[in-house]
Amino acid sequence: MTGVATMPADTGSLLEARLVSRRYGHHIGCEDVSFTLWPGEVLGIVGESGSGKSTLLRCLAGLDRPTAGTVAFRTGDCMTDIFAIPEQERRALMRTAWGIVHQNPRDGLRMSVSAGGNVAERLVDGGERHYGRIRAAASEWLTRVEIDRARMDEPPSRFSGGMQQRLQIARVLVSGPRLVFMDEPTGGLDVSVQARLLDLLRALVRDLGLAAVIVTHDLAVARLLTDRLIVMKSGRVVETGLTDQVLDDPQHAYTQLLTSAVLAA
Amino acid sequence: MPAMLEVNNVGKTFILHHQGGVHLRVLEGVDLVVEKGEAVVLSGPSGSGKSTLLRILFGNYRPTSGSVLVRHAGELVDIVAAAPRTVLEVRRRSLGWVSQFLRVIPRVTTLDLVTDPMLARGIDRGVARRRACAMLECVGLPERLWSLAPQTFSGGEQQRVNIARSFVDPPPILLLDEPTASLDAVNRDIVVDLVGEARAKGATVVGIFHDEAVRERVASRIVDVTGFTPQKAAS
Amino acid sequence: MTGQIPSGDAMPTVNYAYLDEQTKRMIRRALLKAVAVPGYQVPFGSREMPLARGWGTGGIQVTASIIGPDDKLKVIDQGSDDTTNAVSIRRFFARVANVETTEATGEATIIQTRHRVPEHPLTAGQILVYQVPQPEPLRKLEPSELETRKMHAWAEYGLMHVRLYEDIARFGHVATTYSYPVLVNGRHVMSPSPIPKFDNPKMGQSPALQLFGAGREKRIYAIPPWTEVKSLDFEDRPFEVQRWDEPCALCGAADSYLDEVIIDDAGGHMFVCSDSHYCEERRKAGHAGAMLATSTGGKLAASNGGDR
Repeated sequence: MTGVATMPADTGSLLEARLVSRRYGHHIGCEDVSFTLWPGEVLGIVGESGSGKSTLLRCLAGLDRPTAGTVAFRTGDCMTDIFAIPEQERRALMRTAWGIVHQNPRDGLRMSVSAGGNVAERLVDGGERHYGRIRAAASEWLTRVEIDRARMDEPPSRFSGGMQQRLQIARVLVSGPRLVFMDEPTGGLDVSVQARLLDLLRALVRDLGLAAVIVTHDLAVARLLTDRLIVMKSGRVVETGLTDQVLDDPQHAYTQLLTSAVLAA
Repeated sequence: MPAMLEVNNVGKTFILHHQGGVHLRVLEGVDLVVEKGEAVVLSGPSGSGKSTLLRILFGNYRPTSGSVLVRHAGELVDIVAAAPRTVLEVRRRSLGWVSQFLRVIPRVTTLDLVTDPMLARGIDRGVARRRACAMLECVGLPERLWSLAPQTFSGGEQQRVNIARSFVDPPPILLLDEPTASLDAVNRDIVVDLVGEARAKGATVVGIFHDEAVRERVASRIVDVTGFTPQKAAS
Repeated sequence: MTGQIPSGDAMPTVNYAYLDEQTKRMIRRALLKAVAVPGYQVPFGSREMPLARGWGTGGIQVTASIIGPDDKLKVIDQGSDDTTNAVSIRRFFARVANVETTEATGEATIIQTRHRVPEHPLTAGQILVYQVPQPEPLRKLEPSELETRKMHAWAEYGLMHVRLYEDIARFGHVATTYSYPVLVNGRHVMSPSPIPKFDNPKMGQSPALQLFGAGREKRIYAIPPWTEVKSLDFEDRPFEVQRWDEPCALCGAADSYLDEVIIDDAGGHMFVCSDSHYCEERRKAGHAGAMLATSTGGKLAASNGGDR
């Protein structure tokens, strides 16, 4: 088992979490989580409901400030502690350097704005002021996530759950982030729709060299999408390693329980 | 000949926390050196730890003790101690795993499945696609199936896809986990030929084959794993 | 300005310009801050006024705080001096502030307006007071006040262009014709109150002081004289104002904002200046539109200009 705390600092790393903790009063959201993510890597965070996966993700993505520990993101040649910089700069990073695909599309989309407008937002946030170019980029990204261009001017409230998730992905990826956070990206979708989304994500991650942090309770999703896993229980990391190592040769009692429920079949 | 794989004093004990915390000692004191161009076949009765050892060589199972050195980019890398991303890089470039199972994301087309491993190694898309087509032809999969996802194929057709995907761009070290176990005679011959071809190009092979005849045709050396089985191994 | 107006027989005594002096001071402080940071929405303690919120209470409180006995007040509602709202507010101030009122744009020192900027160019020393229903230009797209404040604080205005994008995507052009968002002094995006976008260019580099009061939303903001005001647009879709195919039917003006007026039951209509005073002045000066030749037009014109 790879000890997370002893993982050597690497000059090329993209995201470094060091002893990240988030408490709600006496309740522990997550505690002492450390890991390093490199460009192009897909990291899965697995564990059952309430294990602190989503809390951790919110800290990593800059949405919630950890009560202790640091989250550092690569900006140029150096690593920037994203909670040590002014909120303004952090928000700018959140709009450009990384993106978040929320479990509930309503948290990640503007439901009253058209699909094209949703994709356009991150471009105009980045300073683009040319309608023709914005329109073309939005159209291209909708096609990439397999949304019919004819539906570009419809609001996402008219879309199916799978389409809303794909729209979220387009909205996030249009600005060319280096990292994407996903919270249960296939949650609440039919199995066939899930497969389509997984295929899309896999291709995008490969073609764009994206790094991703994916929170999921679905080990099948984790196996297909992720390179490495962090297993969480009661807010703490109980095991880490390559995805196939953790799933095929689980060391910790909790991981064995988690995997036996799936792989015994 | 340089060593491609070097296994030093590897042991593996499984601890089953949910079955009374039983300690299952499967391997002990494994020492093995595989040189370039060799085709080592692991033998031994069922439960003797062949499969466990092969998985340890791939970095899939984590040994309880010892080291596994794999030649990667001209150097020997201990994949037991290496960082996860190093292990991934070793697998991408130097170490291939072939089993009889096709474990892939649903809905991906056959041609994409065969092309993907090459894209991951940075081979140009056009070149990769041409080689994938040639390979699918070689394993005799009808062209009308290439643009479909293999989930709906017959068992035999799925096996061909798997073979094509595994051998389209064989890495320097190939680990074969009973790839011929459930194949018909024709597909079995294809696999044996492809292993031969890969070896002719310089690949090193370590594998498990149940079929006596196949084992004889593939192996340059047979290693009996029972030598590494602890005396009081659980049955 | 602290003097009380003479009370009539049955009239209770009220303070000069209706508001008490503490309130006026509070509003003046807000106004100073608003002038210092052009386009920034300054919160203020909006008071109950003797008319319902949404009927111009913000503008009235601003006017009440800056008006003095020497001022000359003009009040317009959608360009017109003689609609109910304009007449009521004018009478209100004539009564509680003892000021002279006027319909002539050039003569007024304070012009309170709902939804228009007068056609007659404003001059230095004049103050234009806008009644504002919704001061937050980002509100339609971002419901959270906390979030919109952050967006203003850090000039995160991408969302405004999403709004313009939506218009062009849906209608082929920016269909927003009023309340068209502007960038003030290169810093704050501001809602110009629901004036037609035709009036947006008049806000920039104006010699007059422009004050905005939103009574219900409790916000005050300002554009000091000679401030840059830019209507938001895309590089390839520049900002444009409305145009009409015909000039004003009464005065023949081709440079003013026109209202469509239905004149009979047969679908007949004409376009006339929304700025009633401007139209009247032009007619007095001898300009005549197409309608004035006909009898209907003549009657309309007479009634339009004849209430004084």
